[in-house]
Amino acid sequence: MSNIYDIVIIGGGPAGLSAGIYGGRAKLKTAILEKGTVGGMAATTREMVNYPGFKTSTGPELTKAMADHAREFGTEINKDEVKDIDLNGEIKVIKTKKGKEYQTRAIIIAVGSQPRLLNIPGEKEFRGDGVSYCATCDAECYEGLHVVVVGNGDAAIEEAMFITKYASKVTIIVIHDEGTLDCNKLSAEKAFKNDKIEFIWKSVVTEIKGENAVTGVTIKNLKTGIIQELQTDGVFIYVGMVPETGFLKGKVEMDERGYLSCNGLMETSVSGVYAAGDVRTKYLRQVSTAVGDGATAAVAAERYIAEQESFRNYVLNSDKPILMAFWDPVVQESLDLLSVLEKTVADHGDAVNLIKIDMSRTKMIAQKYNVSKVPTVLYLQGKDEFTVFDDENCIAKLDAFLKRNI
Amino acid sequence: MKLKSLNAITFEEEIYDNGQPCLVVFSRKNCHVCAEVVPMLEEAAENYIDSFGFFYVDVEDESDLFKRFSLRGVPQILFFNNGEYQGKLGGLLEEERVVEKIEEVRMG
Repeated sequence: MSNIYDIVIIGGGPAGLSAGIYGGRAKLKTAILEKGTVGGMAATTREMVNYPGFKTSTGPELTKAMADHAREFGTEINKDEVKDIDLNGEIKVIKTKKGKEYQTRAIIIAVGSQPRLLNIPGEKEFRGDGVSYCATCDAECYEGLHVVVVGNGDAAIEEAMFITKYASKVTIIVIHDEGTLDCNKLSAEKAFKNDKIEFIWKSVVTEIKGENAVTGVTIKNLKTGIIQELQTDGVFIYVGMVPETGFLKGKVEMDERGYLSCNGLMETSVSGVYAAGDVRTKYLRQVSTAVGDGATAAVAAERYIAEQESFRNYVLNSDKPILMAFWDPVVQESLDLLSVLEKTVADHGDAVNLIKIDMSRTKMIAQKYNVSKVPTVLYLQGKDEFTVFDDENCIAKLDAFLKRNI
Repeated sequence: MKLKSLNAITFEEEIYDNGQPCLVVFSRKNCHVCAEVVPMLEEAAENYIDSFGFFYVDVEDESDLFKRFSLRGVPQILFFNNGEYQGKLGGLLEEERVVEKIEEVRMG
């Protein structure tokens, strides 16, 4: 059996695991690469109450079931990290930190996102010494102490409530006007009722202070400009997420925040490269939407591999010369050309095979033959030998060419 | 290489009685950052089989040890040489950072 993988999935959270289930089930040689915890961000969620079919579950439980499910279908889950990635060419190459090299026909990027840093003085310095991004890990260390939480989304408010189990007081620093929180209404109501929680509105943290460990924070009121010091033993930061796409810069198109842009098939700007889950530009980042992305990406990748395969077989094994027409549904001229071409081929007694290539769907073949505009027609003499017809008179020229050659 | 797990008694023996240069990672099962840092240490340990000790403390099983060093969270890597505390590294870490510190401790 070939060592070339059909699909390599980067990231083992719900999106990657779901893609692994679909890939394995389709009998594709599939591997998932995960550098940390299988289950990803979801594996750190204590309580999950909105994943359809599971009224109450935990992140670790749910993601472990997904991982077992993927393995049962034959998908490998390997603990490793991508060091280098080459997306050019039909066979893509991934080099890992452990020194392995993966060759694969398709890649699904499901790397998710990481907590965003505030980038303020003291944040890096006191990481692990009072600055934390994980209440599950660290809340217990603040038994009877005062803790500051920065942020006001779902994660910030829900984690703040979890920390009140241990801390004597939790102060939440909110950038918005009094009473406005970005989190869901239910959590907001619970937080307002929790008498261990206090809010400081319309403010940001500008510095984290301490000596060996955190002793306080500097808070600036955005309305009045007044700066105040607040004593605290710990700072938990929940100010949103950033995608982990640094290693793809200049290789795959992304938006200004680094999220990967893709279409409904989860295709990125590179043929054979798909994105799924939190890493892509999308409206809702949840386990339930991630698994949908993963399924779509795997099926799209499966079809892409099949198309590539049949294209290769068809071109290589064709008993007649091949005429390749590159078209695009939005270019009327190319649509017109297709019907003219069909007639031309028929006029020549069907002595050539006409293949139509939709440039809006597959870019790989166009790249292979250096085609950048539509319409373009190629006449293939041999595997790598071809004649190009792409100007205004191409039909007339082609007609003459076919008369000479057939 | 799996890291040797310590409890309050074996901690005394390894860190203070044996006194070899070593590190101890304080970790817990459900912490995802630990799940990235611990395997990295397990790999690094291969390169220091007889020259540097690598130990593991589960803070849930050994909460007294955890409290003794008044740590604020996990993972935390504490370094020792001749039974003396040589500093610590906390949170998510690159392997290079840890190796640098190991070399510093070994050089004394």
